[in-house]
Amino acid sequence: MTSSPFTGIRVADLSMMWAGPFATKLLGEQGAEVLKIESPTAWDNIRTLIPQPGKADPWNSSYYFNTYNRAKKSVTLDLAQAQGRQVFLELLAHCDVLVENYRADVLDRLDLGYDVLQAANPRLIIVSMAGFGKTGPDRGLVGFGPVIEQMSGLAALTGYEGEDVPYKCGVSYGDPVAGVAAAGAVVLGLLQRRRTGVGMVVDLAQREVAATLAGSAFVSAARDPHVVHHGNRHPQSAVAPRGCYRCADEARLYRNAEYSLLPARAVDEQWIAVSVLDDTMWSALAALLGQPAWAVLSLADRVARHDELDEAIAAWCAPLDAAEAVATLRDHAIAASRVLDTVAIHDDPHLRSRGFWIQLQHPRMDPDWRQPGPSWRFMNADTRLERPAPLFGEHTRPVPRQLLGYDDARLDELHASNVIGNEPINPGVG
Amino acid sequence: MRVVELAGGSPAAYCTHLLAGYGAEVVRVEGHGDQTWTLSEDEAIYLLPGKDRIALGEDPVGELGQLVAAADAVVADGLPGRYDVPAWRQANPALVAVTIAPFGQTGPDRHQRADDLIAFAAGGTMSLTGDPGSTPLITGGSQAMYFAGLHAFSALLAAYYGSVIHGEGAWVDLSLQECLAGALELYGPAAANGEPAALRFGNYHRAVWAVYPCADGYAGVFCLERQVPALFALIGDPVLREERFRDPLQRQAHDEELSAYVLSFMIEHTGDELTRLGAEHRIPFGKVRTPAELIAGHALHERGFFDHVTTSDGHVLPVPGRPFIPFDWSGGGAVPAVQPAMATTVAQRWQSR
Repeated sequence: MTSSPFTGIRVADLSMMWAGPFATKLLGEQGAEVLKIESPTAWDNIRTLIPQPGKADPWNSSYYFNTYNRAKKSVTLDLAQAQGRQVFLELLAHCDVLVENYRADVLDRLDLGYDVLQAANPRLIIVSMAGFGKTGPDRGLVGFGPVIEQMSGLAALTGYEGEDVPYKCGVSYGDPVAGVAAAGAVVLGLLQRRRTGVGMVVDLAQREVAATLAGSAFVSAARDPHVVHHGNRHPQSAVAPRGCYRCADEARLYRNAEYSLLPARAVDEQWIAVSVLDDTMWSALAALLGQPAWAVLSLADRVARHDELDEAIAAWCAPLDAAEAVATLRDHAIAASRVLDTVAIHDDPHLRSRGFWIQLQHPRMDPDWRQPGPSWRFMNADTRLERPAPLFGEHTRPVPRQLLGYDDARLDELHASNVIGNEPINPGVG
Repeated sequence: MRVVELAGGSPAAYCTHLLAGYGAEVVRVEGHGDQTWTLSEDEAIYLLPGKDRIALGEDPVGELGQLVAAADAVVADGLPGRYDVPAWRQANPALVAVTIAPFGQTGPDRHQRADDLIAFAAGGTMSLTGDPGSTPLITGGSQAMYFAGLHAFSALLAAYYGSVIHGEGAWVDLSLQECLAGALELYGPAAANGEPAALRFGNYHRAVWAVYPCADGYAGVFCLERQVPALFALIGDPVLREERFRDPLQRQAHDEELSAYVLSFMIEHTGDELTRLGAEHRIPFGKVRTPAELIAGHALHERGFFDHVTTSDGHVLPVPGRPFIPFDWSGGGAVPAVQPAMATTVAQRWQSR
């Protein structure tokens, strides 16, 4: 494909935090023109969630915001003001899609119910991403990614072997999951509009998307309602041994360690994951462990002696450099990987070879700052990204000029009323 | 939309499960090509209804070629190099091919075998999951596989839309590792900014962003700064009006003390009470619910979320249905049997339309 799939599609993006912006990032990466709309008084919280010290305009300098809002334009509009809503509705008439991840009642409270939006543009595809949907008894719940994960059944499935405590995923997993699904919902909407000629409202409850990723656990629940945690072992004992083993620690220096606000390790511990997928792998591993007599152990034997085998693997790993251990295991055709931490993953030779980490020059970020490339790789297509995340309000004037024919006098008037703005009003901690 | 699924594991099967639910005609080709990944019995019950399952005959390569030539899309998972995708695309320029591999189609690790654990470890999320004093922990439910399958669903639709608009198909290369590595929240971007490797923090990041025991299990509270005053007001202890708790910067130094107040509140309430209070006071509380609890509850039923699958022994089980509405959705039913040597028949039927 030589053209990006969404070339010519314009998206109004009212979403904030991570779920909605993840969706619109995917759309922007594939050619859509995404207009990220924020109020000067109620902007996307992640702009200032982890403020970087020493920046004159921290809302433009967030690595968090700037990673997930690339390939978009920034337009400021205060939807709490009647003038802002009027401009917004005029813009919508020129858009194909609206994505929002407000709580279920927020659009109505803004006098921007579906009837109003559809009157502004009957061909508009509206994707609403409220955490628990627009209807039903839970529609009033407030939820971010971790809440979604808990309320969907996913968090209950995670835990250390023999323990009852459920664990949340290390990232706010409900968010990217909902974002990816929302991108698919947008496309289904576009395809349906081609047939019907009219737009629609998509009700995407983030909790429901997350539950679909745990479908087989719902099947299991019919047999046994209690969840048993398996840690890193295979839940059906179809693979053994399988686990995560600590290697030698690694000393590192960090460029910006002095102002990091995130919890970090005192030492950089290194781990590897090993999965013995079949008897051939096991035979090779038994030899590596210096236990050739173990080579004959069947899968059932290995499951029964998992604790003992874990100890042997752990002892083999303990003095080794993690990369060296994985290389040795892979040389013997054993499935293994480093447990890549957030630093090591940026130096992973495989990802580097695939050009996964990309640099998009951004006026407020270090020149060598990297971000993940698109996960959807269109082979034989030129899908280079050119647009970094926008500065706050960067396109507030050009977009209404181009789409609505506004002149400077009209824009100045909106600016004087704080309907639009160049920077957040009263920015604080996100 | 006519879709060929080259039978493997849950990534391709979950992708086509969603496509079939939304009306695509999905033919799953069994027993051919890569068998790196397979479905568990429960996954088969969840993911196979609504599809045709066929086996290839005496000329598997030719029959598969016929089928793919008549299809709109093909989805395959497992290690690369098992299929001649360029030849398929040459024969059918509008074809959308989505391949899902542990490490993608290119690069030095492309032939490395991996299951959910290995992919989860390679994707970075595992380093952030679990207790800091313990082993990194995989997230339950084969999430490296399913997350990639979800990406495949949306990426396939995007490519198909491009094919409809531009008349040219595409080959989308998805890597389990990259799907995860592209979703490391703020932790990945922080490290890319020269900051230290992020710590895994288990269920506790800070007092107002943590999972606690509650009266009947576990529940989380995940407050942004703007929601903290409502939480403190609900807890109601006068000490929380003190500046050392109200000021977000001072609060960090008193986090452990604060967590004791939050814990004492959480443990006195059931999960249902907390979620009700959360809705009333705009506080992000969430109960850790098991699939069985969700089936027994009424919220998802009221939204018509569940499909029903009939198992081979006659049981009817509720399983998650459509991820979003209002598109027509047809889910549930029974696990279909494999039909022998049907590829040519299906290809002729597709071509005749």
